[in-house]
Amino acid sequence: MRVGIEVGGTFTDLVAIDQGKVTVAKVPSTPARPDEGALSSLDAAQIQLDQIEDLVHGSTVATNAILERKGAKVAFFVTSGFRDLLLLQRHDRKRIYDLFYQKPQPVVARSDTFEINERITADGSVVTSLDMNSAQHVVEAALAGGNYGAVAICFLNSYANPAHEEQLANLIRERFPDVFVTHSAEVTREFREYERATTTTLSAYVQPVIDSYISRLQDELDARGYRRNFSIMQSNGGRLPTEGIRRNAITSLYSGPAAGVMGAVRQAGISGFTDIITLDMGGTSTDVCLIRDGRPDLSTETEINGLPVRTPVIDIATIGAGGGSIIWVDDGGMLRVGPESTGADPGPACYGRGGILPAVTDAHLVRGTLKSEAFVGGRMSLDHAKSEAALSSLAERFDMNLEQMADAALRVADANIVRAIQLVSTERGRDPRDYVLVPFGGAGPLHAVRVAEELEIGTVVVPPNAGVLSAFGLLAADFLRYDSFTHHLIVEGTVSDDVREIFGTMRERAAQAFAQLGLTEDLDYTHTLEMRFVGQAFEIPVTLDDAALRELNTDILLERFVEAHHQIFAFGDAGRQRVEIVSFRLGVSAPPGPIPTLSEVHGMEAFETDGEIFDRGDKTQCLVMSRSACERGRKLTGPALIADETSTIYVPQGWHCSHDEHDNLIIRKDA
Amino acid sequence: MNVDPIDQAVISQGLIASAREMGVKLIRSAYSTILREASDGSAALLDRKGNVVAQAELIPMQLGPLGATFKPCAEIVPPDDLEEGDFYINNSPFEGGQHLPDVFIFSPIFYEGTLVGFSASVAHHLDLGGGAPGMNPDATDVHQEGIIIPPSRYNMQRDWNGGSFERLITANIRVPELTIGDFNAQFAANAIGGERVKQLCARYGVETILSVMESHLAYSERRMRAAISEIPDGVYEGEDAVDDDGIHTEPLLIKATVTVAGDDISVDFTGSASQVLLNLNCPFASTVSAALAAVKAVASSPDIPFNQGLAAPITVTAPYGSLLNPKPPVPVRARMIPAFRAFDAVVKALAKAVPDKVIATGFDTTHSICMSQLVDGNYSIYLEIYGGGYGAGPGSDGTDGVDGPLSNCSNIPVESLDQQYNFFRVTEYALRPDSGGRGKFRGGNGLLRKFEILSDDVTMAHYSDRYRVAPEGAFGGEPGDHARTRVVRMNGNEEAVASKTSIKLNRGDVVISETGGGGGYGDPSERSTDRLHDDLESGLVTPPAAQAAE
Repeated sequence: MRVGIEVGGTFTDLVAIDQGKVTVAKVPSTPARPDEGALSSLDAAQIQLDQIEDLVHGSTVATNAILERKGAKVAFFVTSGFRDLLLLQRHDRKRIYDLFYQKPQPVVARSDTFEINERITADGSVVTSLDMNSAQHVVEAALAGGNYGAVAICFLNSYANPAHEEQLANLIRERFPDVFVTHSAEVTREFREYERATTTTLSAYVQPVIDSYISRLQDELDARGYRRNFSIMQSNGGRLPTEGIRRNAITSLYSGPAAGVMGAVRQAGISGFTDIITLDMGGTSTDVCLIRDGRPDLSTETEINGLPVRTPVIDIATIGAGGGSIIWVDDGGMLRVGPESTGADPGPACYGRGGILPAVTDAHLVRGTLKSEAFVGGRMSLDHAKSEAALSSLAERFDMNLEQMADAALRVADANIVRAIQLVSTERGRDPRDYVLVPFGGAGPLHAVRVAEELEIGTVVVPPNAGVLSAFGLLAADFLRYDSFTHHLIVEGTVSDDVREIFGTMRERAAQAFAQLGLTEDLDYTHTLEMRFVGQAFEIPVTLDDAALRELNTDILLERFVEAHHQIFAFGDAGRQRVEIVSFRLGVSAPPGPIPTLSEVHGMEAFETDGEIFDRGDKTQCLVMSRSACERGRKLTGPALIADETSTIYVPQGWHCSHDEHDNLIIRKDA
Repeated sequence: MNVDPIDQAVISQGLIASAREMGVKLIRSAYSTILREASDGSAALLDRKGNVVAQAELIPMQLGPLGATFKPCAEIVPPDDLEEGDFYINNSPFEGGQHLPDVFIFSPIFYEGTLVGFSASVAHHLDLGGGAPGMNPDATDVHQEGIIIPPSRYNMQRDWNGGSFERLITANIRVPELTIGDFNAQFAANAIGGERVKQLCARYGVETILSVMESHLAYSERRMRAAISEIPDGVYEGEDAVDDDGIHTEPLLIKATVTVAGDDISVDFTGSASQVLLNLNCPFASTVSAALAAVKAVASSPDIPFNQGLAAPITVTAPYGSLLNPKPPVPVRARMIPAFRAFDAVVKALAKAVPDKVIATGFDTTHSICMSQLVDGNYSIYLEIYGGGYGAGPGSDGTDGVDGPLSNCSNIPVESLDQQYNFFRVTEYALRPDSGGRGKFRGGNGLLRKFEILSDDVTMAHYSDRYRVAPEGAFGGEPGDHARTRVVRMNGNEEAVASKTSIKLNRGDVVISETGGGGGYGDPSERSTDRLHDDLESGLVTPPAAQAAE
């Protein structure tokens, strides 16, 4: 049996798959001790540990440690003269007209930052060598008090030559073996010192938290006699055995959204959809991600709490649009939805917990696209009158009736989601019409088809058990790690030989690192070159498969780069400008073994009835049914509302749908 | 055509998103460090008449008067005479431009033959010729500052990409491979903006888009007027001063009279100093931009989208021949400095009306350092601008080490400088403890950068301010510290560097440049013990300075 356990903020989800049989469980999370939620989900699903051969876990432990500022006290060592690196940041402001602007707060205090005399240049040569004696003095003075839980080191230009960082790290590890030490070249080897330093300090900050969390969980599993595979989800969409995560804790940031994306990738992939856009809409926010050929794009430019993170993560765009997003009107009279949310408490007015502000969920209830009796499998009742009351003043202001008002607000909410999708599609030079939309999360399937319509996407695929898709994504994820190497090469002459050689060396090293984690079979490699025109500073990824790497020559390389540059920037000419490779990224992955489909588990009684909805100015009759009542092969035409355990799927007029043999609900635009 | 309010909400956000994407792509595809790392560029979408409809929030100074920069172009060639592939271009300070390095390019957007609007971008170019690489602080007229591109119309296919206009520009600049690359980044950003607007036209129809543009201006105007009407009516005055004119030592007074009447505001700079011989003159478009930014920042929430509508309730005047509305052909390169003082004077005036909405005066100076070298016939030019401390506010300390409110340049990573330049090395980059003015809320601290010069025959050009006139505190807060720069020569001799000058440097020299702090807000004796504790713990206030405050 293989088990995925995803600890979220509110719920802990479990998916277990045993010879094609799917078990799901959902238990409340215990935010103070997430491991308890994880273990209690096993109990809830009545799973014995000796039945499990593969256990994969994802949690928000790293993310919460940063958001709640509950990480370790970190001592930070920098090149002499650059003590204020983390406070100076990039000297800009995110809101240009805000007089009271405050910079994001670093996770390391100024008084915990120590300067070390050394300097390396951009080509890696040493200007000022690291004097181990004086370094030792600084280290002893700083760490002797023993009040630091972790150490971060970031020296200038260490991306080109990490020798000094390594020497200092070794010194500290010898003298203070109990302290976690992270140096920047271990975390990322990209230039730009502020971004690399922040990534390094964030990693150091969460390292002890992740380590003790994993240890505790591991101990409890050991105590229960579990001896098999145990791995942890990463934000790059792959998993790693626990030993691999402990060295590089920052990669577990945002693992939850990444797991959801991988679950969607796998489940849609089984039905043959490999070019997809995921739409994960929950209570407060929406995550969208574009996947080409079954592989999500990676981004090294995310941030958390305003602090940059430069390790590769799945390229997910997040906006503040969810079921709880507040509908309001600004002082210029414009209708707005979000980004403020009513949160879980009090929640939308219809929850009846004292909320009086209208939220997206209220609008659905008033418009009829949510039916109180079918909300979360009928486990929670919604107060229609409270939704109406919450929307009434807005309706008056816009001179609309309540249904029109609700409809208008949902159009604005849809437009916000459309823009998030444009961020990861059109803005990256991808045409959304070439993709299918895969919604999940509580509110995703309610909005997906209208969003698809706006983007001229013709197909929407709703996976079964969308509420536990993240936990399924854990099981579906490959073992995966990325290594990067900064090395400048002008694209000319025999550069392709150098490229093959460098990737060859990287492959050997990656295979060794995987072997240490016990992963030796069916390894798959991806080769990505970060390239740019000489003089530019931001690179464009060019990915090569094995065959492309074998046949690579200068012309092909230039052609591939210019094509990618055109796709994003709509200009560029290799005839006039030289092109360079800036860095190499190698991905190594190993499949977790065959993954069965996430077939539907029905906990809801089947029903089928008629209802009324108001959409785009018209009131119409609409089929309302449970997902379980829609047998495979049956074709439904919109308007229809299909409710399952965790969400409601809205199929508007002009669209039709049916379940395929993998229990995916395929919704298509009428011809 | 009347637009449905919901269409308006949906489509106007689409226009803003398009402008934002233009800005991102301008920076990301650029070549020079001043554009690609420091982000000294901006982008916007304009309607057919040249009104800014939506902008990428990059540099307030460049964005404010885009319409004024556009207008002289449209007078030369009416928009209706434009063809696909045409563009307007302008950097002329006395014809709607600001200073020469900021080149404005406007590309018409046609949808099925109809002119819908313009996509516009502006970038600060590293070098556009003139009397010295990067900048010429000794210039006594605008001609010595670089090539003037008067308001003109050219065509991409005919005049660029090897065409005669591109060749003319290339021949007049010192680092064409970077600068032409940056021009291309501007054209690309404009093309992206055009593409997005055309997609919106295809989706919603041209007529709807045109109406949305119009009512989006009205929307911002409505919100701005609502914000202004909350300011008590009255006539308010504020003053600040530029240190000197670069030759003499007398300060140059900047005086703002702000009149609030209902939902209108007028800003008049009568009483300000006359224009000067060197480059501290501020073209009128820059003055307007500074005044708009001050009123917007104080009066309104940051959430109001900046466009031409927002400018409608605000009138700006300055006497012709004054520092803030100079006559040609005076040099204007350092126009940000008087522009900042105009900003400060307006904020100080408004402080008398709405004390809770202002901050104390900040360092608010473009502290600009340009170093260059000619080796084997090739120029290497480094240009970077530094901010300092922000003024403190009624509820928060001023931000430390950040670019001033009219600008928003990033720093250039030291690792990027190490890759790009081999004639100097940055050996220290730090905050300056105790440089922020004390107060109930402390002014932001300035910063320090130390450069070690690695080869002979390097020219350093510098302009800055607040070497003499400190930024004032507000409501009992103390002033921020001054800025200063010095050179320690290889032989150990130390020389002070003036705030507006150019000097020669050789191997072994060390330049130490410090920017000023911001003013404090409120009486220092009212500072909370928590904040005093944090000050000492962080080391941003040192014990002797803390004791002096008690």
